[in-house]
Amino acid sequence: MIKVENLSKSFGSLKVLENVNVEIKKGECVAIIGPSGTGKSVFLYCLNGLEKNDGGNIYINGTNISDKNTDINKIREKMGMVYQNFNLFSHLTVLENIILAPVKIRKIPRDKAIERALKLLEMVCLVDKKNSYPDELSGGQKQRIAIVRAMAMDPEVVLFDEPTSALDPTMVGEVLAVIRNFAKLGFTMLIVTHEMNFAKEVASRILFMDERGIYESGSPDEIFNNPKKERTKAFIRKLKTFNYNVNSYNFDLIEMNSQLELFCFKYAIERKKNDYANLVLEEMITHILKYCYDGKRPPNIDITVEYGDIDKKIEIEIIHDGKTINPFEKISFEAAGKDGEALNANGGDGDDDDMGIFIVSNIATDVNFKSENGLNKYKIKI
Amino acid sequence: MFSNDRFEVISQVNKWSVMDFFKAISESFYNNLIAGNSYLLIFSGVKITLIITISGLIIGTVLGALLCAMHYSGNKLLKFISKAYIVIVRGTPILLLLMLLFYVVFARSRMDAIYVAVIAFGLNSASHIAEIMKAALEAVDPGQIMAARTLGFTKYGAFYHITLPQAGEYARPVYQNAVINLIQWTSVVGYITIADLTRVINSIGARTADPFFVIFLGILIYLMLAYITYLIFNMADRKKRVRR
Repeated sequence: MIKVENLSKSFGSLKVLENVNVEIKKGECVAIIGPSGTGKSVFLYCLNGLEKNDGGNIYINGTNISDKNTDINKIREKMGMVYQNFNLFSHLTVLENIILAPVKIRKIPRDKAIERALKLLEMVCLVDKKNSYPDELSGGQKQRIAIVRAMAMDPEVVLFDEPTSALDPTMVGEVLAVIRNFAKLGFTMLIVTHEMNFAKEVASRILFMDERGIYESGSPDEIFNNPKKERTKAFIRKLKTFNYNVNSYNFDLIEMNSQLELFCFKYAIERKKNDYANLVLEEMITHILKYCYDGKRPPNIDITVEYGDIDKKIEIEIIHDGKTINPFEKISFEAAGKDGEALNANGGDGDDDDMGIFIVSNIATDVNFKSENGLNKYKIKI
Repeated sequence: MFSNDRFEVISQVNKWSVMDFFKAISESFYNNLIAGNSYLLIFSGVKITLIITISGLIIGTVLGALLCAMHYSGNKLLKFISKAYIVIVRGTPILLLLMLLFYVVFARSRMDAIYVAVIAFGLNSASHIAEIMKAALEAVDPGQIMAARTLGFTKYGAFYHITLPQAGEYARPVYQNAVINLIQWTSVVGYITIADLTRVINSIGARTADPFFVIFLGILIYLMLAYITYLIFNMADRKKRVRR
């Protein structure tokens, strides 16, 4: 269906794509993932000629679109495209948006086009909005209409360019549900996305793009669970961890907490564990900032939070330079004793930070401290 | 008794002065409009003002569209010509342009002054209208044009179905403004001997030595023309609003 041979594209001196080769068969749902700025969208744009490729050939159903004699408009009729910013025609109602191209280009009679449009609108549950203007719709609704508009041309392949990136998090679900439905109907699709769970679930094949091309490709299981190559591994690992660096005494605790919350939300980590993780991080950082740094030199605390799929535990790793103090040393045996007494004993000291450490060691199922080469490393499991 | 007398006097004065006022008005009305069939002069003045405005507008719109097309033609020379034209003509006072055409360019051609005025206002409004069109075209979301292209529309199809209707909506209020401006600027054509509305009013006022009434009437007529323009531009309750 789509065959790409040695595709290359550069903007000025910046090479974006180099020698890309890939073949996409009818009925495939291909997800394109990868770090930002690796040419995922440019690749899509090349496929329907919105960006001219510098080298190589792209065959759509055997027609070479890089050929000057090819009528690109004829090819585009058969290729739907859904954009990040919806790009609905703002002067037309929803229904007019959908039937414009079928009526004007495919020359389908107006009433037939409307009939088909209504059927598609029913599929995305937006029949009621048929006479609304785009600016009366929410982002999610706009994107669903944009998908319908692409589908109304009866395309052989639909290209999705980050269809959920411009959406409010609450609206991502509705759009993904619509794409999922169309995927089930056997449409050929290429989806550039940052929604990894979605890619994993919907795609029949994943293309991981990096280093100016398709770096690794394979089934969702191959890419997400056993990536073979270096960068894919790093990318997938990074997806599963939360990283934060504290480099100021007045660091933004709220920002850190909300980022951690987002991470927990993505991995469906229960609320209680999320709160525990927040608490542990806050107490640990307060402790470290107070005792391990002198208040003058800027702190450097690296935090990595990882969620283990198998044991369902959050693993927090904190690495920092500065003074070496093992906070768990004196606590651990006390905590092992009777909880209530230990609490009193520590509370009696009037030292709040010891209290913090005590809380941490109570919440954690496992704590570990190591000091190597001037770097202190804590591992806390919740 | 005394107060009653006084009341009588005041009311008499009032009655007299109101009567006098009406009398003065009807006198002015007669002198300015009826005597010597002045109202016919005013009608012909309005007609000439409208002819210059409408013809100037048609020429200006066509020429403006051409200038705008030249700007986007991709040809550097055409773009330069368009830019230079706009800078020069827009920066030249219309009265000087009018005089230049009448006394210099067409001085020997014995062309009717009205044609000269139409050309002058056509040239002048073209520069404004080209700018309006450019701004309106720039305001159209390029993403929507791209979306139309990916649906299979040709460059011209996308322009016709997406860019044009949207740009038209963006341009409408500014274009309306340009038309009203043009109507008012035509009032300077009296300088080149054309008997437009302003000139007619001026001569009637001079003849009757009672200019207040007729000047006031002239303002009302210009206001009416502006209001008619407004009505034309907002004729139907436009459903096709440009929305984002």
